[in-house]
Amino acid sequence: MSKVRDFLVEIGTEELPPKALRSLMDAFAESLVAAIDDARLEHGPAHRYASPRRLAVMIEALAGEQPSRRVTQKGPPVSVALDASGKLTAAGSAFAKKCGVLPADLTRTISDKGEWLSCEIIERGQTTAELLPGLVEAALAALPIPRRMRWGDGDAAFVRPVHWVVMLHGATVIKAEILGIKTGNKTRGHRFMAGAPLRIAQPADYLTELETSGHVLADFEQRRELVKQGVEAAAKAVRGTVVDGESLYDEVASLVEWPVPITGSFDASYLKLPREVVVSTLTGHQRYFPVADKQGALLPHFITIANIESSDPQQVRRGNERVVHPRLADAAFFWDSDRRISLAARHDSLREVVYQHGLGSLADKSARIAALAKWIAMELGVAPNNVLRAAMLSKCDLISGLVGEFPDLQGTMGRYYAQHDGEPDAVADAIGEHYLPRFAGDALPAATDGQILALADRLDTLAGIFSVDKKPSGNRDPFGLRRAALGVVRILVECRLDLDLAAMIRVAAEAQPVGKIGAADVQAELLTYVSERLRRYFLDRDTGLAAETFDAVLVREPSSLVDFELRLLAVQAFIGLDSASSLAAANKRIANILKQAGEPGAATVNEKLLREDAELALWDALKAARDSQPPLLERREYTAALNELAKLRGVVDAFFDGVMVMADDKGVRSNRLALLTELRELFLNVADISRLAVA
Amino acid sequence: MFLQFFLALVYGNMHQIGAPGQMRAPFWCDVVRGAPFVDAHDILRGLDHRDRCMSKKKTRPTLSFQDLILTLQQYWAERGCVIMQPYDMAMGAGTFHPATFLRAIGPEPWSAAYVQPSRRPTDGRYGDNPFRLQHYYQYQVAIKPSPDNLQDLYLDSLRVIGIDTAVHDVRFVEDNWESPSLGAWGLGWEVWLNGMEITQFTYFQQVGGLECRPVTGEITYGLERLAMYLQDVTSIYDIVWTDGPLGRITYGDVYHQNEVEQSRYNFSEADVDDLFHTFDHAEQEGIRLIELELALPAYEQMLVASHTFNLLDARQAISVSERQRFILRVRTLARAVAEAYYASRESRGFPMIASVGGKSAQDVQS
Repeated sequence: MSKVRDFLVEIGTEELPPKALRSLMDAFAESLVAAIDDARLEHGPAHRYASPRRLAVMIEALAGEQPSRRVTQKGPPVSVALDASGKLTAAGSAFAKKCGVLPADLTRTISDKGEWLSCEIIERGQTTAELLPGLVEAALAALPIPRRMRWGDGDAAFVRPVHWVVMLHGATVIKAEILGIKTGNKTRGHRFMAGAPLRIAQPADYLTELETSGHVLADFEQRRELVKQGVEAAAKAVRGTVVDGESLYDEVASLVEWPVPITGSFDASYLKLPREVVVSTLTGHQRYFPVADKQGALLPHFITIANIESSDPQQVRRGNERVVHPRLADAAFFWDSDRRISLAARHDSLREVVYQHGLGSLADKSARIAALAKWIAMELGVAPNNVLRAAMLSKCDLISGLVGEFPDLQGTMGRYYAQHDGEPDAVADAIGEHYLPRFAGDALPAATDGQILALADRLDTLAGIFSVDKKPSGNRDPFGLRRAALGVVRILVECRLDLDLAAMIRVAAEAQPVGKIGAADVQAELLTYVSERLRRYFLDRDTGLAAETFDAVLVREPSSLVDFELRLLAVQAFIGLDSASSLAAANKRIANILKQAGEPGAATVNEKLLREDAELALWDALKAARDSQPPLLERREYTAALNELAKLRGVVDAFFDGVMVMADDKGVRSNRLALLTELRELFLNVADISRLAVA
Repeated sequence: MFLQFFLALVYGNMHQIGAPGQMRAPFWCDVVRGAPFVDAHDILRGLDHRDRCMSKKKTRPTLSFQDLILTLQQYWAERGCVIMQPYDMAMGAGTFHPATFLRAIGPEPWSAAYVQPSRRPTDGRYGDNPFRLQHYYQYQVAIKPSPDNLQDLYLDSLRVIGIDTAVHDVRFVEDNWESPSLGAWGLGWEVWLNGMEITQFTYFQQVGGLECRPVTGEITYGLERLAMYLQDVTSIYDIVWTDGPLGRITYGDVYHQNEVEQSRYNFSEADVDDLFHTFDHAEQEGIRLIELELALPAYEQMLVASHTFNLLDARQAISVSERQRFILRVRTLARAVAEAYYASRESRGFPMIASVGGKSAQDVQS
């Protein structure tokens, strides 16, 4: 009988990919715990660990076996199991023997298909030791590994070659072969700071043993915190603060098992380079942390995290400085040589660079962006000169040396070069901002010219890629179209650009070279695609927003997203009103009546045919509302418009209480249908209230 | 970076053809498979004089360039590798030597180590740049099946050439290569020495569309880069090649004139018409030879086509739109050769399985 004991599994590997380490750690722990739960093994809290050479999970107080359970064992049919006299046949006896019971303990199960012998037995749970190897293997097989690799001449496949597997339940090794490796109780410490393999006596010792004897901090969060503190302290020591540390701590913590901060320096003359260039040089390939003074100006230092307590740390520092120095020298070289050719002079060379097969060169793309940007500027009543110039120059920095080097600096360098060339500030800024927003939560272009350019660039990309039939499918989105569409939505809504989205998409689609997909289809597909992003955008932004509310507005297909948002806000306010549920129900009822009537109502309401008081009252209220609505709608005062309509609740309720719509008299019936159509259309002016899910 | 890397690996000096701006790609993008480097101006010299003196005292006598090579040769010879000589044709990287590219194909065990002179015409700088060369050296190790202790074997080789792993920060940092159209990919790392990339380390998974079974482990050392680090010099041309009874000879003494003249040839003098003709001819010959089941001669034609393409590239004779087509032509050839080679070994019954024995991926004795 096994006892409840802690459990540890550690997969020891060659160096794992740093950007994937955290997700591998999480996925391993989560799928293992899920598998253990599925196997009905009781357990305490689970802890997840990961370092470059290991993934591990420690589960406290894991049961030694599954609980027993009562199951019904099905035996042979009665016709086979019993003879004519009702005695057990050989087959019947065999079943009793198999179940380990006396013949008298057998029962019968009857179903519509016949009668069988059966037996209630207590099924002993399997032991944890029997179950775990399969559970661990299943969890490993479920890891999100884009490409598994093999090594040597084995068949095992994993993220990187596997060298050891620790699997302990209490002090006992759970014997198994995982990924071609026999399990044991020995782990390995740091590559260079630990000696022979380390024995783990019991799971609870794992972290401590690795830290004290192995020079490995296996706890990812602890290591990350240490990296962060180390970098911050090192920055403080040179009277600075860390620049943009949060973007690197995870990755750096995934590159070391024993973090040791090292501060390096470079020649202060490189600080004359644009700040972004220095930061990219340090953070890019090398993952160094830049340091800035209190005013935010960069200091000629960087901090790196070594993976060793070197016996001569100065050599590590000097080595890293040797790497950074020529990189900065090269950046400086490009910065100087790039500025010798103006952006405008580079434009011709864009013809030589293919943008995308079927979509022409980068010069073609800039021309399309310019045309669309001009169209947008005219719609907004903005003078198009600056945005046109910015559009033509917007892609020229892509063929500069520095952007070739640091692709992330596209736009940023364009702005610097435009300023250097003496372009107007508005042009330089638009170039600099047109890639915004680059990621979720990123800033938006501040100036209208930049917003226009950003829209035009994204819409052209979307329409272009859709037209060559490369729109995203599943999780594959190599052209970043989801991000582009979301960017369009954010700019339109958050910068309050009152533009006709469908018309913009049409202009963008019609500007594409003749591709696989015609402009009309591109337009339709793209509008749907952007609407999907719009839905996500609003639902993510406002957790209180119900999908039905969004759909109620979407039905109206508001062409401007500014208008869309106003309607959305009005409908949300409407939902808060007392009369909302009653009116939503009434609208739903009207929609159903009109759909099921099987006949069109009269074109207009004929007052003479109104007989009942309730319908007369409704008609009077409708007439009043009909007059009050247009100016409100004109001014997009949708909340006020719905407030007005909310006042109809009383007459609408009374109408349905007292009036039979589908009257026998065809004229009366038709007139009542017309009345309801009027009512419905009044509401539909803002949104389809019938779709709301109001309690 | 990804694209660039696989091209570098598979096409050697064709590594520039991927993204725009590759002409300007700096030395560290192709650190090992490309040219080595060190500080341009060595501003640190003044700052760190004291450190240097201190560290000098501790280190053992520095290896000359040829000692470095001899030490690696000796080391890998003792581990059982076939010590090959450089392939006698122009190529962009040690991976192109048939001892790696072709031997990675199929089930037969294999292990080789060798120096491979590597040419990347567009990297030429007329001998003016202290860390870029159009002709440089790689030290290449390829072992199939990859032994379980390949990383340890590699780390021991660093110790043998004088890198104390208790002093220096040595790390394996993810870096993979892939060529979808060639059906070639592998996973592995670039090895960092105090943040500097000194080696590429790759487990081949597929070559020429053929699954690598067993897997070949490939180690590619950037020799000039290592030598500059070990000798603490700031220009490739200052690397001491040898310092013996016949005098002290530097890398510059041996290769500077070559860099000047070859740069001029690559960029200005190579006969473009003749190169186009050579490319076409190599392609046709390659196809013809494959039909004759002459995989190895066909492979050489692929090497010719590849290097010729790079010369045309240096001469800026190929437009952006044409370039993709040229790349595709070389790829098609490389793929066909890979299949032909597999078939040729298969028809011989994969003889090395029997001759070397079924030695599996156990530790190679270190």
